[in-house]
Parts: sequence; structure tokens; C-alpha cells
Amino acid sequence: MSKLINCVPPENIEEYKNVMVYVEHRNGSIVRGSLEMIGRARVIADKVNEKVICVSLGDNLSPIAEEAGTYGCDIFLGAESPEHRYFRSIPYAHKITDFIEKYKPNILLISGTREGRDLVSRIAVRVRTGVAADCVELDVEPKQRLLISWRPAFGDKTINQILCRKHRPQTVSSRPGSYPVPEKIPGRKCEVRIEKVKLDEKYLKHRIVSRKPKEKLDLTKSDIIVSGGLGLGKPDGFKLIRELADVLGGDVGASRPVVDLGWIPYDHQVGQTGQTVRAKLYVAAGISGKIQHVVGMKASETIISINNDPDAGIAKYSDYFINADLYKAIPIMIDEIKKRKKGSGGAKKSS
Amino acid sequence: MTLKIIVMMKQVPDAEEIFIDPVTYTLNRTAARGVINIPDENALEIALQIKDKVGAEVTVISMGPPQAEEAIIECMGRGADRGILITDRAFAAADTYATSLTLAATIDKIGKYDIILAGESTTDSGTGHVGPGVAEFLDIDQVTYAESAEVVDDKIRVKRILEDADEVVEVPFPVLVTVLTGANIPRRATLRRKIDAIKKGIERWDHETLGLPPDWIGIRGSPTIVGAVKVPEEKKRASKKISLEQIPEMIDELFEKGIIKREDGA
Repeated sequence: MSKLINCVPPENIEEYKNVMVYVEHRNGSIVRGSLEMIGRARVIADKVNEKVICVSLGDNLSPIAEEAGTYGCDIFLGAESPEHRYFRSIPYAHKITDFIEKYKPNILLISGTREGRDLVSRIAVRVRTGVAADCVELDVEPKQRLLISWRPAFGDKTINQILCRKHRPQTVSSRPGSYPVPEKIPGRKCEVRIEKVKLDEKYLKHRIVSRKPKEKLDLTKSDIIVSGGLGLGKPDGFKLIRELADVLGGDVGASRPVVDLGWIPYDHQVGQTGQTVRAKLYVAAGISGKIQHVVGMKASETIISINNDPDAGIAKYSDYFINADLYKAIPIMIDEIKKRKKGSGGAKKSS
Repeated sequence: MTLKIIVMMKQVPDAEEIFIDPVTYTLNRTAARGVINIPDENALEIALQIKDKVGAEVTVISMGPPQAEEAIIECMGRGADRGILITDRAFAAADTYATSLTLAATIDKIGKYDIILAGESTTDSGTGHVGPGVAEFLDIDQVTYAESAEVVDDKIRVKRILEDADEVVEVPFPVLVTVLTGANIPRRATLRRKIDAIKKGIERWDHETLGLPPDWIGIRGSPTIVGAVKVPEEKKRASKKISLEQIPEMIDELFEKGIIKREDGA
């Protein structure tokens, strides 16, 4: 039984007000992507004098509501059930759709995590609206309360402005890591409405047989990242990368080819199909500078690249371009940093 | 009863060969070779593995220009039984809503199916939103980000990879599964099968075949539009060239600017 239907716009879009955020959480705290969305929703809501409404599902939502409040949420809507402990597409999409139909938000922001992307287009089809997918910039035109979303296209070679003029809510999935986490304001007022719900038996046919949590490296939180690429020449090269990262107190990143080769696990991958990072210091060693990698690291503050090819594309994205063999350059860097780290006066001109 | 599997496949420009016209900001597609979207290859491989193991009829559907036919032939060369190209100028500039609707209408017309497989996103637009959109239109369950999938009685058992956990789920048919890039190593096509596919031919369906009104599809059926296009402003970087001898100097600078901090915090 299908329900094919075109995207009929609502009659009175003036009825749609406020900015809704879908809040995803793990182990009792909100995931970074959703915090970014609450922060962005706050900015947009303030511009048009509206409220930020957070919606969330789970088995214990009070701590989530409290956290959402401190980050800028005005109204928290929750649906609590022991069966909501784990995400399931259909019941989640149904419940969020109920909230949308009841509260009629003008804008709906969802962080484009795997859960978010699983959910967002089901919701959009249900409420018959469009999605601006994978956006990296969001703003509002205050007069018409029109959301202006920007999404990279063609491997991030251009950025397209996406508008949804006639349909509501104007729905967005945002690329995680595109925004900073907002400031916390402890004790900020937030109205909390959490209802207990019972999950329809039929949804439990979608059985979660097992769930193995894994330690995942979250590079979006790292201040210092040292990444390695094909120029390492061998999987062992990551030992040297790790050594430099350790001396700097940072984490290890990688470009896609070396992840595909199995030299290092996927959670180290920076770039279009990996993580988007904004480090204070990013070191790219043996990385040629293909756009797919660059889009994931170019928002970093200071970038150092090391490459023995004088024409390497990475140079133009770098503040410092060490044009040398990385196996010679990195040991020097490690030594020089170690000397100065100790703080024994060695930080001035040496060697 | 033979299992019926539908694979949704898209032909995309080879990412390495894309270039953007600096004046019009449009994609120069003629320069780029058309290839099967990478995770769609992995989705097809899962379909063919199921076919090998328990028997199945595998249909590949693809929405795109007439030349996407070659990608369908390639899929049939690998072992798919039937190929349908959904092609019509009226489908142009469809967003995820109109695309999902068109694909769902195609699947609806095919009729009986147990499993729908697709790549988790496309390399040329990369929303990852079309698969779930199709599942919603068809009112069926979905499992996203699959690394592997196997048939167990009248259910599919899928290992899915999430940011913080690996999950195994079991879902009864009918179900839509989206597959991750690199989930498996796709088999090669055989020349004999490709020739058979060319002989058999690819079915071509347009909006009339699907019974979709023109204002439901393409740009007219799309709630979102592209308002403007810009080339991202690149932060100008100094690209200061450093030799091995100049590394100590560079490290000094990084300490002075506070980019690297001393252990005593100075």
C-alpha cells in the first residue's frame, strides 16, 4: 500500500511560527550536532522574535531537557517510553510529525548525523515539505521569515543557496561540525513538557538484535590534529604521525585513500566522507590536497602541510608549507617542540 | 516463491573529473565520465549475494538521462535480471521530494517486492535523503547505513554502522536498506551477461508510464529550489614555504602565537 502524493503546500503559511530542533542524545547528554542546531536556532529565533522548541524521544528525557534549556531552548517537548531507548525510523518519524502538526514550526533544524539523515526525509515526506540537505550555513530573512540555507555541491566546488518558499516547516539537515557549540547559560528558563507514550506493538517487529557501542574518535572536538596521507608510503608511517600528535597533545587524522587501504580506521578520516573538523592547529603530512580532504579541514585556524612535491595542491590551503620529506621534517618538529614544551627557557631562538 | 529485490542505482559523474565552469558556476558534465555511484555498487553486490545464496530476481532501476543505460547494462552484466531506466526531461531538477516520489512510483508500478537496496548517498549530491524518502512514500520500514545484510526466513538481518555503535537489526519484508561505501567488493561484469543484457534491452519509463502528473515531478514537483550559486570564499593563506632548516623558526613562531602551548601554560 503506497501513498504517493505530491508536495501540496499549506494554505496559510503565516500560521507557522517558531524554530524547532530535533535533539539527538546518547548516554544522557545531547550530541554535538544537536547542540550546534540549538545554537543556530537561538540566533534565528531571536532575529524574528520567535521561540526555540526542542523535540526529543527517549527513555529518560529530564536531563536532556535541562541541558537543552541551558543551551538556548525555550520549550522542550519530549515523548518518553522504554521502547524509545533506541532509535527506530518509523515510530520516531511518526512522533516528530505529531509534534510538527500540533506546534506548526516555521523552521525545523536537524543535525545531519546518521540518525538525523535517516529521520529527516521520512518526516519531510510525511508533512509534505522540502529538505535543504547537508547545509553548512543557515540564516533567516526576517521580513518573510524565509530560511536561507547554503549547501555545498559538486564535491564542495560551489555552494548552492536552497530556499523553500511555499512549504512549511522549512526543513534543514545540517552538516555536523559546521557550527560552534553555543555558550551554556546555567539556570536559563525552559518550559518542559514530557509525555509518556506507549509504542505500538507492530513497530517492535523492527528488532534490535544487538548494539555494540564503540569508542569513536570525535575529531570535531579536537584542537590539534595531525593527519597522514598516501605520502606516508606505508601503514607504519602512522607511528610517526602519532608521535607528533602526542607531543602536541593532539589527535591523529587521515585522508580517505589510507583509510580505504586499511592503514587506519575510518573514525580518523577527515574530509567529505569523513569528519569536518575545525582545529586550532592542523598538520597535513603526505596529503596531496584533493578537494575531498580539504573541505573537511579548511576551517581550521592554522594549517601546516608537509609534502615533498613543491606543486602539491595542499600548499595553497596552508599557512606553512614544509616542502621536504616528511620522514625528515617530522622528527625535527618533534625535537624542537619537545625542547620548548618543557618551558625551561628553550622557547627562544635555539639551534 | 522467489524473492524479489529492487536495486536503486544512479549514474554519477566521476568525482575526479568534475569541473565547474568559472563563469556560469554550472557543472561541466560532458567532461566527466559517467560511473555507477559507488555505494550503489555495494548495494547491488548485496542483492547478488542474496541471489546466489537463496535465489532472487534482481531488478535495477535508475533515474537519469538516456546515457545512464550503460550503467544499467553494467549492473545486468554483473548479474541483475532486469533493468528499468526512468528517463524524461520532465524529471529534471527534481529535489529529494520529487526524486523519492518518482522512484517510489516506479517501484509501485513494478509491483511485488521484498527488499529494496540502494547506496546510502550519491557522490554527486550526497544528501542520503532519497532512500528514506522512498521508504516513506511506500510506507515500508527501512534500515540505513548497512555494512552487510543477509536473508533469514522472511526477514532481513542487517549490520549497520553508526557513529558510536554497531547495530544488528532484524526487519520483516518488505524493507528498504541503504548500504555504505566499501561494504563489500563488487564483482565484475561478464561480457556474456552484458551481451545478453543488450539483447534483452532496457525498459524505458517516463512520467506517463508512471502515471505521474507533470506538476508532481521535476522542478515543478520540488518544494525546494536553488536560489543562487556561489563559489566558496577561500580564506587566503600565506603558504609560507619552509625548508628543513627553517623548521625551528616556524616552531618558535607557533609558540609565540600561542598555537602550541608550553607545559607550564606560558
